[in-house]
Amino acid sequence: MNVPFAFILAAGLMRLSAMPEIPIDFNRVLPETIAGWTKSGPPALYTPANLSKYIDGGAELYLSYNFKGASAIKYKDASDMEIAVDIFEMGSAADAFGVFAHSRETIDAAVGQGSEYAAGLLTFWKDRYYVSILAYPETPAKKDIVLKLGKTIAGAIPQEGALPPILALLPVENLIPESVKYFHHYIWLNSFYFLSNENVLDIADDTPAALGKYRLGSTNAFLLLVRYPEEARAEAAAAKFRRMVLGGAADDAVPLKEGRWSGLARRGGRLGIVFNAPDAAAVRKILASIKD
Amino acid sequence: MRSRHSISRRQFIKSASAAALAAPLLLAEQDKPAGAPSGKSKVILMRDLKVMDENGVPRLPVVQEMLDAGITALTGRPDPQSAWKTLIKPNDIVGLKNNRWPYLRTTAEVEGALKKRILEAGVKEANFAIDDLGVLQNPIFQKATALINARPMRSHHWAGVGGLIKNYIMFIPEPISIHGDSCADLASIWDLPLLKGKTRLNVLVMFTPQFHSFGPHSFNPKYVWKYHGLMMGFDPVAVDATGLRVIEAIRRDFFAEDRPLNPPAKHIAVADTKYHLGTADPDKIELVKIGYDKDSFV
Repeated sequence: MNVPFAFILAAGLMRLSAMPEIPIDFNRVLPETIAGWTKSGPPALYTPANLSKYIDGGAELYLSYNFKGASAIKYKDASDMEIAVDIFEMGSAADAFGVFAHSRETIDAAVGQGSEYAAGLLTFWKDRYYVSILAYPETPAKKDIVLKLGKTIAGAIPQEGALPPILALLPVENLIPESVKYFHHYIWLNSFYFLSNENVLDIADDTPAALGKYRLGSTNAFLLLVRYPEEARAEAAAAKFRRMVLGGAADDAVPLKEGRWSGLARRGGRLGIVFNAPDAAAVRKILASIKD
Repeated sequence: MRSRHSISRRQFIKSASAAALAAPLLLAEQDKPAGAPSGKSKVILMRDLKVMDENGVPRLPVVQEMLDAGITALTGRPDPQSAWKTLIKPNDIVGLKNNRWPYLRTTAEVEGALKKRILEAGVKEANFAIDDLGVLQNPIFQKATALINARPMRSHHWAGVGGLIKNYIMFIPEPISIHGDSCADLASIWDLPLLKGKTRLNVLVMFTPQFHSFGPHSFNPKYVWKYHGLMMGFDPVAVDATGLRVIEAIRRDFFAEDRPLNPPAKHIAVADTKYHLGTADPDKIELVKIGYDKDSFV
């Protein structure tokens, strides 16, 4: 059924808020033809129920960030090569940032609120939208088209969205900006440092989490922040972490392996954990620098 | 610059480690996969710099040579024809499960080279089929007596990596139903009556393995590595585990730091510890290398 993407967006917005918003018809915004490339048909529309039919094996990443709907628009040239434009509406701007930051390697804001271009693939986020434009194999001409399409889409999104508030708690000293991740599903806990396959920290939709990498000389240390809705949950997670990872140690900094240190500090419902630090002092310094 | 050489067993266990923090990686007793009389699972790694042309297209004659060298090393037979006859009987109905992901396929060359030897073993062409998404509807696969499992190795947004174990996901009607817990229970599929005990050979295509996923389609050419290899074995867990070691090592080399797959490829270790499909323990894998050996990472 060819349900207009705008309808899906509108329905989603009605659920989220009583304030009416004008849905964005991205298909109308994008040109029918561009530099010899023509839309191959109407957009294919996807919901949480059928996203896996489109990106088999990749859907869970988006579902874990409150995916609402997607529109897939294809351009073809005379030789049937393809440029794939995929526009994902996420649950919030924070979720759109989370998906984008999941795999970014650099800091760039050439398109939208943050973007990355590599070898024919442009990804960017703006407000609650995460956008991917893929032209493979890459050519200079296709790169130009990809960037133009990206800027057209970004220009049609009227406002910028707020970053996840928990990111503001990360200390900035020695932080590698492009390393910052945001998530609320435990599966993404191991982004930098393998901790566990289990949800040892009770991370869920109601516990926003941030992860950042800190360059300390020749070592990279990692700081994980989780905000729990109740202090008791934060304390329970801290206790479980001490038991399962720190071997029951009560100290705020503990040597683990290969001369690396880990430690944690809880303040109310906020839990901070440092991994892979070179010494106890580094653990304590990062933990003490967490903003309130 | 990080070392390009092999990683330790400890590092491997961390990356594949599924059994989380407490559970042991291996059981004391494991089912011995066919063809591993020594008690170790044999994995053959074949590499040849000439396997792809300047456009990245595999060269069929080189692919055939690599597969022939692999199967003779795996079986201990003097030539590929006699080697295949230990695996396939003329009256077998054979399904070759490939992978048709548009950005990284099993490749027609690998499929063609395998098909040639299977038909030489006496299998009638009418009793042979190649399929991926349609295996459940394919009459050859429905009545198959033998399966050949061949697919590329790549990083995967939800399973850590997609390899041989995961390649059978299309044998269940709702593949997404196995996606819970980062696809940890993929090996359970191998116990289905349609599949159990039928897989005669596993081939992991490592011409250009993808070591990092990026974007909704998980693919970016920036993150594929020209490895020029094929891996082969009877034990899919051992082959996947060895391929995973390569992927992890490439990531360390490329990113110049220890960058774990996210999520970890939990299903490989779980295939060992819970489902006993094979072994993920490098100490229980006999790796045989054939051909080019520089920067093999294992």
